[in-house]
Amino acid sequence: MNAILVLTRSLLRQTIRNRQGLFWTLFFPLVLMFVFSFLGNSQSRVNLAVVSPRGQSAAVMKVFQRSPLFHVTKMSRRQALQEVQRGQIDAALLVPLAAADHTTTLTLRYNNANAVSAGQVVGSVEAFVAQADIALSGRPPLFRVAAQAMTHSHSSTYLDFLLPGILALMTMQNSLFGIGAGLTRWKEQGVLRRFRATPVKPVQLLAATIVNYMVVGLASAAIVIGFSTTILHASVSVPLGPILLVLLLGMASFLSIGFIVAGLSKSQEATIPIINLISFPMMFLSGVFFPVSSLPRILAHIVQYFPLTYVADALRGLMSGQLTLGASAFRTDIIGLVVWIVVTGLIASRAWRWE
Amino acid sequence: MQKTLRLENVTKRYGAMTAVDHLTLTVPSGIVFGLLGPNGAGKTTTLEMVEGLRRPDDGRVWWGELDVVRHPDEARSQFGVQLQSSAFFELLTVKETLELFHSFYRRRLAVSDLISRLGLEEKQNARVGGLSGGQRQRLALAAALINDPEVVFLDEPSAGLDPQARRNLWDVILGLKAEGRTVVLTTHYMEEAEVLADRLAIIDHGRVLDEGTPRELIQRHMPASVVEVSRSVGINSTVDLPAVRRMEERDEVTTLVSDRLEDTLVGLVNWAQREGRAITGLTTRNATLEDVFLELTGRSLRE
Repeated sequence: MNAILVLTRSLLRQTIRNRQGLFWTLFFPLVLMFVFSFLGNSQSRVNLAVVSPRGQSAAVMKVFQRSPLFHVTKMSRRQALQEVQRGQIDAALLVPLAAADHTTTLTLRYNNANAVSAGQVVGSVEAFVAQADIALSGRPPLFRVAAQAMTHSHSSTYLDFLLPGILALMTMQNSLFGIGAGLTRWKEQGVLRRFRATPVKPVQLLAATIVNYMVVGLASAAIVIGFSTTILHASVSVPLGPILLVLLLGMASFLSIGFIVAGLSKSQEATIPIINLISFPMMFLSGVFFPVSSLPRILAHIVQYFPLTYVADALRGLMSGQLTLGASAFRTDIIGLVVWIVVTGLIASRAWRWE
Repeated sequence: MQKTLRLENVTKRYGAMTAVDHLTLTVPSGIVFGLLGPNGAGKTTTLEMVEGLRRPDDGRVWWGELDVVRHPDEARSQFGVQLQSSAFFELLTVKETLELFHSFYRRRLAVSDLISRLGLEEKQNARVGGLSGGQRQRLALAAALINDPEVVFLDEPSAGLDPQARRNLWDVILGLKAEGRTVVLTTHYMEEAEVLADRLAIIDHGRVLDEGTPRELIQRHMPASVVEVSRSVGINSTVDLPAVRRMEERDEVTTLVSDRLEDTLVGLVNWAQREGRAITGLTTRNATLEDVFLELTGRSLRE
């Protein structure tokens, strides 16, 4: 028992004294959160340039300005098209001279370099024009949409969406790179060989290593949550118990995946690409930066079983107030993670080689 | 208690290659025992099987009554081990490293005593990553001694050390023997073997070629003298000199192994006068372990 305690203390000292490692552990999450905090709500507004003949512009501008969906500027045709092309504004609306007797065509020139924002722009302008059309015609509309949010919380910003994703991402990176790269380095240097020549048991070494990465993982998660809520004013709920549960299960599953990789590979040069291969798809697909629902259906079906998806899902549900411990969606995430831990743990225990 | 270390037909194969081939040895208690051999001879693999780090494919290892192959955990807790390619956590201090190893054992020496004994007082709070080669080696020795072992295994303990650090290390090793500990070390430095080892086993291709005290080995294989002259003198295999058992040309020196030094020298002088050659760089000496090794294996220790 004493050996485990001293080992854990030694590993923690080793980790804390690795200033460079700690810096990179916290640098990216904090910078990402900081950068995205500037986006706030402005991201959902469409930057629209209105190009219209003299005399009509004031009226058209007024209509658009009343809508919360748009941020409109009046521009010359040339300037507007140029700025759309350079991606500085989302779209330019070209209004022709009025001709009362037939349908007036409003031309919308948009930049389709970004498929998501292009779709959003065209959609909102079309919807808005149709709405204005009905209103002008004086007839009551046939349908009306009453939009109701499923959450009990206030409307959330992208920052609130991103925070749980970043926490999930950190969980993966710390555990996977920590144990994958760390253990391979010790293996390469001969640190593990030296331990093997003592009566210390592999289980003791493993336990100390796991505690080390969990302490580091939880501490960095706490720092990022603290920074995001106090300084960046992200408004998320933090139910401590359930969040701790998800973080620990997440770490456990990524630690065993890292353990498999470290067990199989002989050198760091071999480990890093394998870890990248595992972590990159999850980083972009598992709902860290954008929801899994925005993926093509077939892909989303596969992605839902990724460990990072479970972690990100559960954390986002908890922090947005949508999920509680009893919710069946939460149970699914937990069960998913437990299955990952059991399966990868079994493989890891077989794949492990001391040298 | 006087325990003997015994290896019986210890064998290790890697695929088609037999790294250690039915190796049998007995190491009496309280001596420094050297395994002498070139790189790749199987010294390290042998040592690792004795230490309980590697399982032999065949054969037994006994430490007193303890079956090392069956009970490697018990063996590890009794042995002191310094590995050839091992490392410690770079960011821990010397003292912290020893405290860590201290926690692994039941029977143990005080960390502070070991630190002063190996002259690491000034470096005890320095990080391992900043230590010199000699200091690292002393730390490795301290870690090997932390469980107060009756037998200490040192794999190439002086590899990469400067002459001064090597002498210091030899003093420490002789000190271990003076305390009644058994020391088993591998080396490919002939001088080290001659200074330290009470008994030696010469190993090549995973087999013991011969075993004994350094004096015995020299007597048995090289009761001869060695005559060396500059190569520019021009002696080669066509020159017939009396009592020469073997001749070798290497770098700038021609080496003659002579069974009767007087005859060979007279023959050499006569030949030089007849041929009108000047004899330069002439030295004579007794045979060394290096020569024994060359005789037994046909190759130099440093190869």
